Parts: sequence; C-alpha cells; structure tokens
Amino acid sequence: MANLLWSGATAPSHQTLTKLKNPKKHNHYGFKEFFQFDATQGTIVDWNDSQNILTTEDFIIGLVEGLEEEVGDASAATMYTIGCEWGQKDAFFFEKWFEKEFDRGIRQTNLLFLLETWWWPFTAQGWGRWEIDLGERKQGFMFINIFDSAVARTLGDVGKPVCYLYAGLFAGFFTELVRKQLSCIEIQCYSMGETYCKFLLGGQERIDAASFWLNEGATARDIEKRLKSGELR
Amino acid sequence: MLNQIQRLSQATEGRYATDEELSFLADYGRSFDLRVQTYQKLQASEALIVQQVQAKMKAMDATLFQSGQEDITNKWKRDTLRTFRYAAAAMLADDPETLRERFLFWFQTIMRAFGAQRSCGVTYTVMQEVVKQHLIPPQANLILPILEVNRRMLGTV
Repeated sequence: MANLLWSGATAPSHQTLTKLKNPKKHNHYGFKEFFQFDATQGTIVDWNDSQNILTTEDFIIGLVEGLEEEVGDASAATMYTIGCEWGQKDAFFFEKWFEKEFDRGIRQTNLLFLLETWWWPFTAQGWGRWEIDLGERKQGFMFINIFDSAVARTLGDVGKPVCYLYAGLFAGFFTELVRKQLSCIEIQCYSMGETYCKFLLGGQERIDAASFWLNEGATARDIEKRLKSGELR
Repeated sequence: MLNQIQRLSQATEGRYATDEELSFLADYGRSFDLRVQTYQKLQASEALIVQQVQAKMKAMDATLFQSGQEDITNKWKRDTLRTFRYAAAAMLADDPETLRERFLFWFQTIMRAFGAQRSCGVTYTVMQEVVKQHLIPPQANLILPILEVNRRMLGTV
C-alpha cells in the first residue's frame, strides 16, 4: 500500500486554484491541498514546490534491509548520516519557504511556532505527528516524540530502535538552525514495543552518555531523569 | 457530509446504494433549509457575536488578551473570526471531519505553540453561550456541537 510521500528535489510549481487564489494560506496541509497530482506529467508536487514520490512499506523494508545486507552493522550509521544531510539541506529549503510564506525571517519568530511549521509538511507526507519538549533547551538538550514513525510502523516490533533516519534528520536540521553541532539518538522506539518513539537531541557528550546508558539497559525515562539531574555518565 | 458521499461512492462501486446507505442524504436534505438559514444568521451576526465574546472574556479576565507584555487582541480577533467562519462552513456542509482535517489539526499545534489553550478554551465556551442567544434552538443545535469540537481541540492541554 502506498502510504509515504518522499519529498525531494525542486520540481514544477504547485499551481492549484486554492494556492493561486490564496498563496499566503497557512492551513494548507489537507491531502488534496498540500499535494498537486499531475497525471499527465506523472508528478506529485507539494505546496512548497518540492517533488514527492509515493512509496510503499515494501520500499522502506527494502531500503532498511537492503542497506543492512550491504554494509551490516554500519547501516544504522549510514541511515543516520543520510538523515543528517537531508536535515541540513531541508533547513535551507525551509528557511526559504518560511520567509516566503510568512514574510519574516526564521529567527524573527516564536521558536515553537517555527518548529511546528517546519514539521507540518512531514506530517502531511506521512512521517508521523510529533511533539517537541523544549523544557531543557537552556540546559542544552531536548526531547522529540514521534507518533507513527513511518520506519518503525513498517518494521514492527523488532526489539531495537530503528528510526536512525529520523535521528539524523533532527540532528542535521537543528545543527543548521542553531548553528551549533548537535547529535541525536532514539532512546525509545515503537519497534521496541513502545507506543511511540522518543529522541534526545543535544551535544555529542550527552548523546554518548545516553547511548552508554541505553546499552546498559536504561529506559527513556531513566535517561531523561539522569540528564535532568545533570548527570553525564 | 462530503466525506460521507465519498465513502458512499467507494462502498457502492459497481452497484446501487441501499436505502439505509442513502439515509444520511435524506437527513441532510431535510436539514438543508435550516442549515442555510443558520449560516446566513451567523454571517449577519458575526461581528456582534465576536464583539460580545470579547467583551465577556475581558470582563472575566483581561489577561486572556495578553501574551507577556504584548496586547494580542487583534491577533485573537483574527484567529477567532477565521475559526468562526470555518465552523459556519462545516455546519453548512455538515462536515466536521473536513474541518478537522483541513483546519483544526493544524491550528491546534499552532495554538499550543503559542500556549493559547486557556484563551481558546474560554473563547469557545463563551462563544457557545453567546451564539445561543442569537439563534433559535434548532439552529443552535446545528452549530453548537461544532463550536464544542473547536473548544475540545483548541482549548484543552
């Protein structure tokens, strides 16, 4: 079943009547509004003029398992790196469309509003809903929850975290946004039997500590507690 | 309604629909005149309704129109008018599902980003009281459930 829309290079522009009549409309994330399907050209272009392709769950399985077969244990790091590059590129892409749509720079706006706006195209494309917790931002880390991760939902309960692509995407995007090197780790995953995925974003030192605790059997809640109490190892 | 028609056309592919499957169309047909009347009444009273909601809220708690030191009355008015018009359109088409998909899911995240749930909660509670005074009961019965959906989605933490 086709359920995921993969966004990629810039394509012919989105020119639906709704957009032509109301180019500054912000609530444009309904399926028929966000995507323009052109049957004659065989293209799917989203509101931000990015070309999308429909993929199946089999595609995701093929991507993950094929990569594992090719590079073995390095597949996790490879997916993370792909995500990082995607996130970095998307930060520039986002900056452009945000400024065009809202007539202001990304640094002249409420941070949570900015982040919600960044994630909405991903939600519309089938990457899942998110929830972001900026409570510990001043301490240099934060948590992101993803509900319905396309990767985890597809792979099912395999007993380990699988959303490396998402972790990389967050690391890449936020590194560009805050202009400071950030890393990300998934500390709880739907594919471990949990109800949703949880990511920790922060400096390398904290991510290394979280990774160590995770390997020692700590839960996301343990990790959250230890980080909030200022522990590093 | 629009979603129901779409579902009907999918469910009845290659066959005729049963009476039971068509009953929602008959219900809609019966309520159509009342929906149009209600829609027109809401359109005519929109400015007054929003003004009364604002006055009631201000009397209850003036800080509802402040975000830190900033006066957000104009922003509140813009958002409230927009939501009110979407609600009226959803009532006319009997289509709260499309309202959710095309507007409320998105607007909910934006209101949360600005920490506006308390203000939204009060807005759509007070709005139900005010709207009730402008409509006869059968008209109110059409729009109030939609305003309640707004309250639940935008006004709860």
